[in-house]
Parts: sequence; C-alpha cells; structure tokens
Amino acid sequence: MDHLRHHVAAAVVLVATSLLAGCTAPAPAPPPAAAEPPYHPVASIREVMNSVIDPSVDVVWNSVKTVIDHGRPIEHAPATDQEWAEVRRHALIVSEGANLLMMPGRPVAPPGAGSLAPGIELAPEEVRALIDQSPGGWNQFARALQDSLQPALAAIDKKDPQALFESGDEIDAICESCHQVFWYPNAGAAAPVSAR
Amino acid sequence: MKMKIFLVLLAAGALCAVQPAQAHHAFAAEYDVTKPVTLTGIVTKMEWANPHGWIYMDTKEPDGKVKHWMIETAGPSQLVRHGLKKADFTDGMSAVVKGYQGTNDPSLANGRTLVMKDGRSFYIGSVGGPNDGAER
Repeated sequence: MDHLRHHVAAAVVLVATSLLAGCTAPAPAPPPAAAEPPYHPVASIREVMNSVIDPSVDVVWNSVKTVIDHGRPIEHAPATDQEWAEVRRHALIVSEGANLLMMPGRPVAPPGAGSLAPGIELAPEEVRALIDQSPGGWNQFARALQDSLQPALAAIDKKDPQALFESGDEIDAICESCHQVFWYPNAGAAAPVSAR
Repeated sequence: MKMKIFLVLLAAGALCAVQPAQAHHAFAAEYDVTKPVTLTGIVTKMEWANPHGWIYMDTKEPDGKVKHWMIETAGPSQLVRHGLKKADFTDGMSAVVKGYQGTNDPSLANGRTLVMKDGRSFYIGSVGGPNDGAER
C-alpha cells in the first residue's frame, strides 16, 4: 500500500512540475509590426494616367500607322535603331506604369478635383468606392494592361512594324474595358438616338 | 542656336496642333448624342491608326464655304472586321458619313456609318457609342 502511495505521489509531482513548466515557458514572440512600405505615392491615379500612361501609349500607338492623303498611302513606322529604342522606352513606361496603378494608397485625383465630365464620368470619390469594392478587379485590369504591352515589346524587339501595329488593338480594348467598369460605367446608357 | 531651338519648338507646336486628341474619354463626354449629323463631301485624308482612325472630310456649307471635318472612327482592326480596307480611300472619293457632332468642337464628329459613292456601306463606330442601330 505504501508502495502504491509512493507511486501516486511521484505521479502528482511529475504532472505538477510539467504544468508549472508549461506556465512559466516564455510567451511566443508577438508578430512583427507591419513595416511601412518604402514607397510613397506622389501622384494621383488621374495624374499617373495623364502624365505617364496616356502620353506613352500614344507614342506606341502612333509609331505605326498609314496616312492616306488624297488616295496616296504614306506608311509611318520606326526606321532607325534610335526610333525603335524610343518606342520601346514608351512601351516600358506603360508596362511599369501599370504597377504604379496597383500601388495601394494612391488617391484617385488631386484633392478637390471633381469629375471631368459630370453626369457621364464618375467623380473621384465614386471611382474610389468602385476600386475599394473590387481591388482585385482593379489590379486585374492593371495587370492586363501590363500584359497587353508584351506583344508590342516583342514586336519592337523583332523590329516588326505590322506586329506592333496589330498589338495596338488589344491595348485599347483593355483600356476601354477598365474605363467602362471604373470610370464611366453608366456612359453606355446614352439615350438611343437614330443616326439614320 | 536660339533660332534652332525656336524652330524645333515651332515644329513641335505644329505637330501638336494637327494631332487629334487621343486621351480616352467616354463617348458622351466628347460627342453629343443629341446632335446627329449627316455629312456629304469629299474625303481628303484617312488616318489608319490606333486606337482610332480619323477621316478628314470637306463638306460644302449652305453659303458655299468649305468646312473641314475630322471624323473619329473605330480602330483599324474593327474597320477591317466590318469590311473596310485602306485601299477603299481613293483620291477625290465622295462619301456620306453619319455620326454625332463633337460637344465642344463643331468640326469634330464621331462617325457611325460610311457610305461610298458605289453604295457600299460600312459600320465605322467606335466602342461606347449610343445604341442607335448603326451596327447592323
């Protein structure tokens, strides 16, 4: 009987020691505080569009075209290494500009700015609400813009004017699709008017 | 040297002056759907370019004066899809363009249909235009 009591006492001591050890173990380290991102958006989305994306995509679009003047076609395309490099520079600006659009914390427009076409194009706060509602959708469009420049860059690297020209359609389609969702979603509802 | 800089700036200014505005906007922000136009005249120039084509057309006003129009069209791939070719734009071609006048520029229009002298008709409207039945 004494023998049994001895064993029970030993077991109680063992369990108590274990519990005590558990209680006094150092608490797990708190998760590190989220570091402030090193970047700092300076321009609004509207300014990035007007100053970075739009002027550069115009260079890409305008680099190859045909002007038919009084029936006489005049072909325009980059001819020298320098001209190809210039178009490539602008294609890269648009590609990387798409990353700027995805950066969180960028305001839609400068403070106090309103809609550029009230009643047709949304006000900045309305655009913000749509982006906040679907940040994934916004980023998907920005990424699609970036991807749409890939065929243009490949065409530039091959110095292929026709392929560069054909790449312009998809870039425009992405721009327009995004604008119809986030910038002027209600503009398609214009009253039907017969043009005939 | 100053003269050279001046000439470069002058040339750049001239280029900007003839370059159609290309910033993306909603159709209704640039064109007035309450102002449909039917333009009959001579096509002097066609810019087969992305993201939109541009038809330059001279029409005769009631007072006999010639008015120069700039007419935005869909992009080249859309035009091709609707059967139009660069070769269709011949010297001195007469045509009828139906579309909508610019909101702020009375000599600007967005084309919906182009009818050639031989009767062939093409849809030339860009994305975002009104649902007016032109695309049929």
